[in-house]
Amino acid sequence: MLRRFEIYSIREGVEDQRVDHLVEVFEQCSEHIPELLHSAVGRNLSDEPIHLVWEHSYESPEAYQRYMVHPYHANMLDRYLLNDSPERIVTDGILGDGALVGYACDTPVYYMSGGVRKVVLFGLDGPEGEVDSFIDELRNLPMKDETVELSVVEPNTMGIAWFDGITPILPASQWTHVWEAGFESLDAYAAYQAGDGRMSQAEREGWGPEKAVARAVELHYIVTLETGERE
Amino acid sequence: MVYIVDTALVEPVQADEYVRVVQGEGVPVMTGAGARFVSCWATARDAGESVSVQTVWACADHREWNDIRRNMVLSPAWYEYSNRISGMWLGGSRRFYYPTDDSSRP
Repeated sequence: MLRRFEIYSIREGVEDQRVDHLVEVFEQCSEHIPELLHSAVGRNLSDEPIHLVWEHSYESPEAYQRYMVHPYHANMLDRYLLNDSPERIVTDGILGDGALVGYACDTPVYYMSGGVRKVVLFGLDGPEGEVDSFIDELRNLPMKDETVELSVVEPNTMGIAWFDGITPILPASQWTHVWEAGFESLDAYAAYQAGDGRMSQAEREGWGPEKAVARAVELHYIVTLETGERE
Repeated sequence: MVYIVDTALVEPVQADEYVRVVQGEGVPVMTGAGARFVSCWATARDAGESVSVQTVWACADHREWNDIRRNMVLSPAWYEYSNRISGMWLGGSRRFYYPTDDSSRP
């Protein structure tokens, strides 16, 4: 499977109605492109100047490639997104090549039908053992912290291979890994963030204690049952 | 055939500059990416309202458009062109058009 996130900042001054329409376009995408799985749109609640996250997935690179050439993609999505479209409402944002990230997985390990999604883009660097240890610590969070329902960390392979989902067409991304975690509610999310676990504490300290982390950006948003269940 | 019709509203005093940028930067970038330039039309500059500049590009189908789109977004010149034209937009639209039985095909 291919797991994918599109992350957008809305241009200042854009009317709410137009943003709502873009959200609807994302939400209705799977009704037109059946290859699109587990599609949900979140409004970012973190302090980062990022407004929308569209999470979704595909069964295979071939399914993703059918999405790429579907008329709905060009007609409805790109209308609001491409730099040369007079209807564009997004900006280039702070993430650079992190506006599109994702990874490959064998099963929908990320799936949640509702709750709060936490997504962290990481630029990991340093000795291999240190990076691996950091990733293992994140992956094991659900076993150590009952507020964390799922925790997936994978290399960001999608960002540089966005054209067909598998072939890199861009240089290596500064965002080497994607971490996505799931929580039952905002209260559970807040409890994790305030917790005394190694990862929670490190995050509160700007990841400084974790030498493997060169850079990080955190987003979190509510995944509604309606959009979370749409397949 | 697929026709990509971009309609941009610009201030009358910027209309000529807008058309110059489309011709001077947009056409080389877009045709270099694989699109066909069809036309660029504008409404009256002296009608007391915003000028509507309509630029039409064409390609064979959505598969080809996807390739063109890839070439566009991998081209630094496309970002420069986009920045130039978007700075003049007051509004506008992008629509894809498809021939009907009554379409005359250039």
